[in-house]
Amino acid sequence: MRYQTLFSACLLLFVASCTEPPKKEAAAQETAATETEAQLVARALAIHDRVLTLDTHADTPLRMIEPGFDMSVRHDPNESGSKVDYPRMIEGGLDSIFFAAFVAQNIRDDDGDSRAKALALQMIDAIIESTEANADIVGLALTPDDAVELEKQGKRAVYIAIENGYPIGSDLANVELFYNKGVRYITLVHSTNNDLADSATDAKGVEHQGLSKLGEDVVKEMNRLGIMIDVSHASDDVFYDTIAISKAPIIATHSNARAVTEHKRNMSDDMLKTIAQHGGVVQLTMLASYLRTAPENPERDAAIAAARANMMPPSEMTDDDRAAMRQTLNEINQKFPNPPATVQHAADHIDHIVSVAGIDHVGIGCDFDGGGGIEGVFDASEVMNITIELVRRGYSEEEIGKIWSGNVLRVFREVQALAEQKA
Amino acid sequence: MKANKHVALCLVLLGFCFDIQAHPLKLSLCQIEYAAAEKTLTIELRLFLMDVNEALVFDPDNNELGLGQPDEVPHAEGMLLGYLNRHFYVKANGKQLALKIKRMSLNGQGDDTALGLTFSYPSQEKITSLEIKNAVFTDLFFDQSNVVYVHIDDDSRSLMLNKKTPVHQLVY
Repeated sequence: MRYQTLFSACLLLFVASCTEPPKKEAAAQETAATETEAQLVARALAIHDRVLTLDTHADTPLRMIEPGFDMSVRHDPNESGSKVDYPRMIEGGLDSIFFAAFVAQNIRDDDGDSRAKALALQMIDAIIESTEANADIVGLALTPDDAVELEKQGKRAVYIAIENGYPIGSDLANVELFYNKGVRYITLVHSTNNDLADSATDAKGVEHQGLSKLGEDVVKEMNRLGIMIDVSHASDDVFYDTIAISKAPIIATHSNARAVTEHKRNMSDDMLKTIAQHGGVVQLTMLASYLRTAPENPERDAAIAAARANMMPPSEMTDDDRAAMRQTLNEINQKFPNPPATVQHAADHIDHIVSVAGIDHVGIGCDFDGGGGIEGVFDASEVMNITIELVRRGYSEEEIGKIWSGNVLRVFREVQALAEQKA
Repeated sequence: MKANKHVALCLVLLGFCFDIQAHPLKLSLCQIEYAAAEKTLTIELRLFLMDVNEALVFDPDNNELGLGQPDEVPHAEGMLLGYLNRHFYVKANGKQLALKIKRMSLNGQGDDTALGLTFSYPSQEKITSLEIKNAVFTDLFFDQSNVVYVHIDDDSRSLMLNKKTPVHQLVY
């Protein structure tokens, strides 16, 4: 049983009438009206246990290249910043995950491309080795059904992805190489433009006005092979180009709704509608700055300003002076913490995407170990709180199942079916 | 020319954070490169300018040092090197390389402006070992991650150093 301790505790509060999900809206409303908070949580946890949960984006391979990092050991996120390991996936009831091999954008020439490819392969190998070393609790997944089968075996499913198409270089054959290594989605571009596409966030602006010719060829090759196309991080023009060219539905593995939080990395309502019309899915991410506009913190700002006003010129400070000043600032930050982004903010985005795109076109991609993590969903051990909030807002078990995995696995199946037709 | 070309072109590097806008993931990048044909070992660091300012003058938005800019104050580089010497080193074949900045540049905009630093060392010796310490900004952020890419001739490796694991040795 997953997250045994928490679930066992909640079972004490569990009532018989909550053991089965309500089958009709009226029944759901009646249940919601009469149940206590503890009962609601217990009902939500039971749903969380029954549905297949899939997080479509984690940068955990970065952790895997930390010397001595062991995925089989539970880590304290407040000590190391680590957000995912296998014990915490079990604790949080997270059944499956896409680990993204990320290589930072660097020079765009043959040398840079070949190095990026080598580094991506190293990270992919680290993912595979991790699954092999922990074969009693996890398994490498290559097809949509693998997650289902592994869940039945009581194992977590680990899928492989690449974040940033940079390692493809200019050689289309690399797409098939990565597919054969197990890669099942590729994020076309990252924070700056690459040879495939424009980024949503490159300070230098657009370069290709969308997808490049090479990017178009890569999209077609991904269609041919059965690799999902991820448009998170891409510019709006890249999104529309990809929609126009791809024969299969596309995904945004970690993006939110721009109408709720204005950010270039989030998706406009038109993009949400368009991706839905083409059968795709937007996976909500747990990045604070994409979930809400950071509120002011005047008390902290005033306290820090006062501390800075009283400090001696930094160039004249001794090491002891610097340590004392750092301590003062740390204490102020602890006393006046920034108001956090919360699971309620995340659910607000889900509500909006559902209202604009429909329940069949939203999912979850937390971006753990890539900046993701908010109050209530700080790491993999806390993802059940998303389900609790969805239940609180009246989502049914069927709908929650779609959000947690049904929608993205539908896209995954369609992508692979198209590839089989082409073969 | 490979090494020199990389040094020059790395000035264009920008997007080293995962999800930018005040970089929610605390990250720096380091690239170490040695090509036997060039007989030069090159180290590049890419640091968020906000983090540098926080570390040096206790204010992420205070650019009074003017690092990488025409109006850089005289003591700015000394303060930066003083900080780096406490938190960063590379030992090649057991010998620690003295940090002397060959090139400094700024890339990006606003909160995501990156300070690029290049260090270059002539080296006749084959590289048999590298010991890298990269604890930059781990004194500021508990979750600081410092990614290191190492390219020795045709061998490319990546590792991530942080507060818990600030030092690692690679043997060739």
